[in-house]
Amino acid sequence: MSILAGCEGAKPARPSFRWGADREGGGPYIYPDPKAPSRYVGFEVDLANALGKQMDREAQLVLCGWDQILMNLGRRDIDLALNGYEYTPQRARDYASSIPYYIYELGLCVRKGSPIDSWAALHQPASGHRPRVGVLRASSADRYVTAEFGDSCEVVRFEGVVETFKLVESGQLDASVQDLPPIVFYLDRLKRYPKLEVVDHPAQPGYYVLYARLTDEKLIDAVNVALHKLYADGTLRSIYQKYGLWNATQEGLPAVWDHWPPKDETPEAGPLAVVLGELHLFLRAAGVTVLLAVLSMPLAVAIGLAVALVRAWPSPVLGGTGAPSTIPGRFLRGAMTLYVEIIRGTPLVFQLFVIYFVLPDFGVTISAFEAGVLALAVNYSAYEAEIMRLGIQSIPVGQMEAALSLGMTRGLAIRRIILPQAVRTVIPATANDFIALYKDTAVCSVIAVEELSTQYSVAAKSTGLFLHMAVVASILYLAMSWPLSLLAGWLERRLNGNTIL
Amino acid sequence: MLNIIRLVKRRGGREILKGVSLRVERGTVGVLIGPSGCGKSTLVRCANGLEMFEEGEVAVGGARLTAGNGNGREQQLRTLRRSVGTVFQQFNLFAHRTMLENVIEAPIYVLHKPREEAVRQAEALLARVGLTDRLDAFPHQLSGGQQQRVAIARALAMQPEVILFDEPTSSLDPKMTAEVLGVMADLAKSGQTMLVVTHAMAFARRVATNVHVMFEGVIVESGSPEQVFDSPTHPATRELLTSSTFG
Repeated sequence: MSILAGCEGAKPARPSFRWGADREGGGPYIYPDPKAPSRYVGFEVDLANALGKQMDREAQLVLCGWDQILMNLGRRDIDLALNGYEYTPQRARDYASSIPYYIYELGLCVRKGSPIDSWAALHQPASGHRPRVGVLRASSADRYVTAEFGDSCEVVRFEGVVETFKLVESGQLDASVQDLPPIVFYLDRLKRYPKLEVVDHPAQPGYYVLYARLTDEKLIDAVNVALHKLYADGTLRSIYQKYGLWNATQEGLPAVWDHWPPKDETPEAGPLAVVLGELHLFLRAAGVTVLLAVLSMPLAVAIGLAVALVRAWPSPVLGGTGAPSTIPGRFLRGAMTLYVEIIRGTPLVFQLFVIYFVLPDFGVTISAFEAGVLALAVNYSAYEAEIMRLGIQSIPVGQMEAALSLGMTRGLAIRRIILPQAVRTVIPATANDFIALYKDTAVCSVIAVEELSTQYSVAAKSTGLFLHMAVVASILYLAMSWPLSLLAGWLERRLNGNTIL
Repeated sequence: MLNIIRLVKRRGGREILKGVSLRVERGTVGVLIGPSGCGKSTLVRCANGLEMFEEGEVAVGGARLTAGNGNGREQQLRTLRRSVGTVFQQFNLFAHRTMLENVIEAPIYVLHKPREEAVRQAEALLARVGLTDRLDAFPHQLSGGQQQRVAIARALAMQPEVILFDEPTSSLDPKMTAEVLGVMADLAKSGQTMLVVTHAMAFARRVATNVHVMFEGVIVESGSPEQVFDSPTHPATRELLTSSTFG
């Protein structure tokens, strides 16, 4: 298997198909080979190659983002989507679907000894508190848990599977509901989460299928024929056994194939009706986005101000002598400089991960929303600190000297004379940062805060209306950022017309 | 009243002030003249504690400021600055405060006067320096002369025992210089103790009780205006006087 075609130009091209998958989806589907991380292994890699062999075509892997694999089909980047995509009637209308290659079921995964020992326990939580259940966003587990247990549980939606295992272990989630393959892979084979166990019977079977463009009916036919052969000659079984995925359920595959496809009982709704049906969810998510922004920005400014004061402390404009300071003073300033450099030099998304996933290891457990506010505040505090420091240092030293000469203490002079002027000079820059922060709230979707971009991704994946939902989300973002930007412009003009000194 | 005793200031290994002593008695006006860079402004900045000095001391009434950066310095400065007002070359009005607010700021927040009392006093002081209207104007809306007069009113509001003037008219054109010097002459007449660093020789002759000539970090000559201006004894003074205009 080669990732990129065209390296051996001299050879007559063997017919091929390009299949799309996301290596970040993780085991056992497709993941970097632990022995040679630039190569990929996984049962879907083996399956693609076996299909290629049967069809006498070369299987070329094209790495995609999981969300976008179906769109990559439409863009003709790939010919087949093969990456744990379930069969849904909606998708089957928009794409050509193969027969199932695997029957998955949902497993309920909890901490050992948890009061949640069955699906039924999710209906009637033992204590008063609503169990928090982690799922893969817009997956069948998401739909199942939301529909069955949405009233008694809090459904927390993630981009990845591994996050939910980790959070169940740390106690931030009470359970994780996932397709069995990753549970088997991480819990049974890798034994990476020894505190977790699967309880009750697997539920809600579903089908992994391959998708192609509607116009590629022939390719799907060839895939279907190949799957029949792979099952018959035992190849499919041995691939699944290799990853510990073979079970009695898979023996039902031929029976399912005989009656494929299942009847579509859901009525088809127009895109506009679907969008309107989602609108109240979008509006609620927009509210969360606004809340994230208005809570984190003041915090960022406050932290930034404190950091700026520490860093600028020895400068004459703050009444410092400029003389070498004490050891503790130098240590504190060095620490603040390090803080600013580390925060500015690392991506917000990692800071969010650290706050949400690593802090619990030190006994600090906070909700995703709180983690979002904190991460945004910390991230922006570094920028606000620099803006504020420059603002402070742009104030003429004479202002401080005049204040001191009038008998003011250093603290009073900073509070009454220096800071009010520094704040005025930094208002336009801070207002611009606020708009940037407002859009950066989207990062919080990686830890399942139900804000606007999370809502977009849930709605887009569950309905397939990527473009429509993107437009709705963008309009909502714009509706809020535009007034902010008008306000920033107005502030800037007002302050320019009233230049100090 | 103001007593500067053997003050030594070094900067980068160089002596800027080489043991300067200078007295201004209560109710008198001391004028300090000298060529640019001789250390006049540095002396004023040492006298109100804006710069540290290595030897000597400054005494105003009961307040003392000693050399170095010892533990007691903050306390010394707080006491000293209640007795010493300063008027700067660049005015240094608080840019975000109106004329009136500039004057009431310290009385309210340092002396904890009631606001109405501070405003009444400020209006009287501003009237005294010739400013009676547009008291809500911001510094950038005022001429340099107006700004400097507000700065004088601001210093007076703290009722200091002595006011230091650090080249108060060097940033002003002749007309504005005249209006500021006029205010200062009135102050002197009313018995305000002052030490004035200036290049305005005519003002010095008219208003000074004593004139001090500084040259390369040393006071080379002191005396009444008549003595210093009419029969200078030091070559540096003669040099300074021939190069100065008496406008």
